[in-house]
Amino acid sequence: MIQMFHVSKTFGKDLEALVDIDLHIHKGEMVFLAGPNGAGKSTLLRLIFCDELPTSGQILVNGRNIVRMKPRMVPQLRRTLGIVFQDFKLLRDRTIEENLALVARVVGLTTSQTQHKVAQLLTLVGLSHKAQMAPYKLSSGEQQRVAMARALMNDPLILLADEPTGNLDAELATDVLRLLFEVNAQGTTVLVATHNLKLAEEAGCRTVFLKQGRIVGEWNGGK
Amino acid sequence: MVEKLKYLLTHALINVVRAGWGSLASIASIAVSFVIIGIFVLVIQHFNALIAEWQEQFQVSVFLDDQITPLQVNMLKRRIENEAAVKAFTFTSKEEALTSFRRELKGQESLLEGLGDNPLPASFQLKIREEYQSSEALKGLSAFLSRLEGVEDIQYGQEWVERMTRAERLIRLLGAIIGSVLTLGAAMIVSNTIRLAVYARAQEIEIMRLVGATKAYIRAPFLVEGMLQGSLGAALALGVLFAAYRFVAPTFNVVSPLFSIGASRGFLESSMMAGLVGGGAAIGALGSSLAVNRFLKM
Ligand SMILES: Nc1ncnc2c1ncn2[C@@H]1O[C@H](COP(=O)(O)OP(=O)(O)O)[C@@H](O)[C@H]1O
Ligand SMILES: [Mg+2]
Repeated sequence: MIQMFHVSKTFGKDLEALVDIDLHIHKGEMVFLAGPNGAGKSTLLRLIFCDELPTSGQILVNGRNIVRMKPRMVPQLRRTLGIVFQDFKLLRDRTIEENLALVARVVGLTTSQTQHKVAQLLTLVGLSHKAQMAPYKLSSGEQQRVAMARALMNDPLILLADEPTGNLDAELATDVLRLLFEVNAQGTTVLVATHNLKLAEEAGCRTVFLKQGRIVGEWNGGK
Repeated sequence: MVEKLKYLLTHALINVVRAGWGSLASIASIAVSFVIIGIFVLVIQHFNALIAEWQEQFQVSVFLDDQITPLQVNMLKRRIENEAAVKAFTFTSKEEALTSFRRELKGQESLLEGLGDNPLPASFQLKIREEYQSSEALKGLSAFLSRLEGVEDIQYGQEWVERMTRAERLIRLLGAIIGSVLTLGAAMIVSNTIRLAVYARAQEIEIMRLVGATKAYIRAPFLVEGMLQGSLGAALALGVLFAAYRFVAPTFNVVSPLFSIGASRGFLESSMMAGLVGGGAAIGALGSSLAVNRFLKM
């Protein structure tokens, strides 16, 4: 589903964020990308949704080479992805429901389809009763779940989650993990970036270790 | 499709209202520009009508030698007939000239008694096709005619033709220069207002971009907003102009004859009004895309 061949990304002249990355993630897999802050995890995710282009190397997503893709094809690629941003990126001046509906409009759902989808996802993340609230009135755990729900609005083939347990305590982190498993169980390929090694261990998923922009090891999840 | 349009329009309206003073500044500056542009268009329109009317009546008089023979008159007739610039012509003999002169002098015929012989020349009155009424073409025609045998003098208000043509060109040029400067200025102001609107919604745009919105999709609401500001501004300008035209212009009648002739004609033609509102929308669209394109590159 995601294939990276000798991918490097250099910012400016000599800030090597990623060096010679070879990574293959299969359809339906759930994979953790673990490493300390500044290891290059977010950069790797951003390459996948074409927010940045690699300095060298090739990337295939769902069989398409996204490095050589024409700019006007990028929106189409993004519509097949779900992204949970590290900083959530929720709009303060809209309700939770409106935040989710924004995505629906972009991907072209009708009003009734949107209502249905919003209700379904808010139920999934357990926030139906807060649909009309502004995001900043929610706890960070709840905001995290809203961000997750929004990422699922377009039934993505791939879910990219950047630090989805960022500053949550262990119990809430487990909740998020359960949610990710549920999404993965429905066939969505999931890639999670985290600096929390314990989380990866708890999940028992295939984990790729990243350090100073290089892959320094891999764990098969104890299977 | 219709639903999408309705959505775009209502949201553009909401955003115009939300932007408050910013939109008002945009709309007002477009209105000011268009009032000035509108005045030029109005003046040019009246000027054109004036010239057209004047061209209708315009004629060249060819005065003939007193010694001319009927044969020569016939030959002249044929030369004039074959001249491309001439639409129609009439011949006035010496006697006819005198009769009509007498008619004009009604009551004062005694003035003529001392003259003895008929002093008035025979003449041809030529109506000229409009495309030949430029001062260059008339000069050529008059040079040609004056060389013909039996022609004494040519008269056609040379100076008037030249002055009118020059004045019209000057007004057009001035209108074009001032109009384009103002248009650009208005577009910049709209661009600024829209840029503020874009910045205010930077995060929303960022999210839309990342979940797969096309540039066109992101641009559309701002474009509509700009077009709305532009056309509202132009419409406002037309309103102001019309009010001025109806209530203020008549008081100028005494001062300026051009104005009084103008005021007796209609206001701007409806196609011209539609054009101005469309122009306002176009300027709004231009300003808006300037703002959004600069942002979308970031
Ligand atoms: N847009 C950028 N411009 C310059 N440097 C960047 C940019 N994005 C990331 N970096 C640098 O790349 C390195 C990896 O960053 P990042 O991918 O965010 O790491 P992680 O997500 O693993 O914490 C860091 O040194 C960071 O400063
Ligand atoms: Mg990061």
